Amino acid sequence: MATPPSEGFQARKARLREAFRAQLPMRLAEARERLATIQPGEAGREGLARLELLLHTLKGSSGSFGLLGTSEAVREVDDMVKTALATPDPVTPDLLMTLQALLDRLAQTDLEPAGGGPGDRLGFEPMPAAPPKPEPGIAAALITLDTDPTANPRGERPILLCDDDGDLAKQLCTQLACFGYQVTAINSLADLPAVVAVDPPATVIMDVMFPEGDDAGPKTLASLVTATGRRIPSIYISSRDDFQARLQAVKAGGSAYCTKPVKTTEIVEFLDALTNRESPLPIHVLVVDDDPELAALHALILEEAGMITVVATNPAQVPHLLKGFNADLVLMDLYMPECSGPELAQVLRQMPGHVSLPIIYVSSETDHERQIKALEVGADGFLVKPVDPRRLIAEVTLRAERMRILHALMVRDGLTGLFNHNAIMQFLELKVANARREQGTFCYAMIDVDHFKRVNDTHGHPAGDQVLMALSRGLRLRLRECDVVGRYGGEEFAVILSGVGEAPAKMVLDQLRRGFAEVIFYAGEETFTCTFSAGIASFPRFPTPEAMLEAADLALYRAKGGGRDRVEIATAVSTDSRSTPEPSAVTTPRGGQFGHGH
Amino acid sequence: MKILIVDDDPLAGELVGALLEDFGHECQLAENGIAALECLGPEAGIELVISDLNMPLVSGLELFQELREQGQEVAFILLTGDDPESLWAQTPGLSGVLRKDGDLEETLPALVASLGGGLISGADEHRPFP
Repeated sequence: MATPPSEGFQARKARLREAFRAQLPMRLAEARERLATIQPGEAGREGLARLELLLHTLKGSSGSFGLLGTSEAVREVDDMVKTALATPDPVTPDLLMTLQALLDRLAQTDLEPAGGGPGDRLGFEPMPAAPPKPEPGIAAALITLDTDPTANPRGERPILLCDDDGDLAKQLCTQLACFGYQVTAINSLADLPAVVAVDPPATVIMDVMFPEGDDAGPKTLASLVTATGRRIPSIYISSRDDFQARLQAVKAGGSAYCTKPVKTTEIVEFLDALTNRESPLPIHVLVVDDDPELAALHALILEEAGMITVVATNPAQVPHLLKGFNADLVLMDLYMPECSGPELAQVLRQMPGHVSLPIIYVSSETDHERQIKALEVGADGFLVKPVDPRRLIAEVTLRAERMRILHALMVRDGLTGLFNHNAIMQFLELKVANARREQGTFCYAMIDVDHFKRVNDTHGHPAGDQVLMALSRGLRLRLRECDVVGRYGGEEFAVILSGVGEAPAKMVLDQLRRGFAEVIFYAGEETFTCTFSAGIASFPRFPTPEAMLEAADLALYRAKGGGRDRVEIATAVSTDSRSTPEPSAVTTPRGGQFGHGH
Repeated sequence: MKILIVDDDPLAGELVGALLEDFGHECQLAENGIAALECLGPEAGIELVISDLNMPLVSGLELFQELREQGQEVAFILLTGDDPESLWAQTPGLSGVLRKDGDLEETLPALVASLGGGLISGADEHRPFP
């Protein structure tokens, strides 16, 4: 083996472990790509077997490296695939969706935070033994609310809720589950140390007052932190709103303080902030250079800086490579035989998806005039060979990040952070074109909050905004990464569900609908709940973006007319009758015209 | 001991190698069963094969069976991400089946050491420490 023997095992292990950890996102992406290619039915079994192999290796290796969180999480997915393969049945769309949700969750979770234990970097960290099983007594004291496995709870590590009021705790758990947070409640302070020791929580939601004392909550947590030497992110909830209580909470390291009655949306905001420490997606760079060694060198420099690269040594490969690789930036050689950098840039600029893709040239060109000429065809920067690695990293990072921000601003809705109307329409057009080419299927759904105007009129606009934000968060969390979620306008949302037919799409939306209906909203002293109706149109039953829009709209209208709080599938345009409008409809959907301007 | 490590995940393979080299063993890596077979010629002097079970093309178990069919009685340890018990019970002739987890760091060197002590059953002509 090509490793210097002078390096001790622990140091080598630490190095390998880091390398493995760095590879994890890529490997998970690979698994997700593999999953995406699997079609339901008999033919899907082969792909499933290939996926199993990959998962198995991932599970084994993460176990070897002591990344037990990852190993366990992958095991869960792997077991499901294995179980499916053990039967002779064809692959079901449900299974694929469930797997997708599990893999998405895995990819979104920072399972193995960098650095691991304190000794990790020094290479002294002992391999952690298998996590001890919780004592039966403790397990009995836990109320775990099993959320639907197809739901998409972020934050792999548990969230603990410590409150002596069992009913309130249970209610809050149910509420938070609607937002994709799986929360475990414990009712006694005495149980806290043992539970924390067994499975360190990502966050503790802590009551302040307990039978043990008026500020027993923060005191217990503070002493626990002192004893374990480990910071536990905490949110305090209390009926006390005085300075002393708040001060105690701050002294105990509390990140947030909510007064009872607790607003679920408020807690969710804090939980999002505390648990969603997912590192931003690494920058993806496509390196194009006809000199393989130079390409490899530049790729290496960028990878060392934590980016993900793909190398193309032939410009003709570039459009194809870009399809499977969501590049943030292309780094290209200026002079290549047959197709020069500027020519390649022009080819890319003439393709709809790559108009704004940042391009940086690399060349030995020192003539200023010719540099400028090269930039004219739509490149964003120019680096002269030999490139200083720090300069390369800085230029690439700057441009890629700026483009990401710009892009986000362009396509996101201000209130909900979802894609805006224009972006959704573009996605729909792209999706139809892709599905037509690949003979695939997908669904477009329109979602409309029921009686939204009544909410605004009765409870005020802040309450209405609360509803919209809750629904948008629900959609974002529960749907897969490959699905597109947007705010169509007002209280209307649009969703593009990739690769699924009508039945699973309805299943997913019905799940969302039931979850949403359970969320309790607060407006002053009052509480209320909301429902939504949805209409689904599938491709290729409706073969154009316009037809899909109209059909989804009509199906939504039918859902409203049928009594709301339901999901309807558009069948054929002709069977949808528009002759029976429901007079009591507060939010009347628009007619079937296309291209509603906003 | 001269050990051949077979793992389709090079990082995992290297980890096992690093562990055993730390105990003074000489390790060689192969990324799949075919490559492993090529490394296992009679003059290669490999005394022990440690193979991952689950690999594309040729699984660790198939590699083991292939070796035995070729009449190569080299000691063979399988590593698996799953429960090792049933495999261990079903496959006579293996020197061991270990689970890939944190414990591997202790169990594997111990098992290899025990093989070095001459505890390989059915491989009398093959004494690891000459």
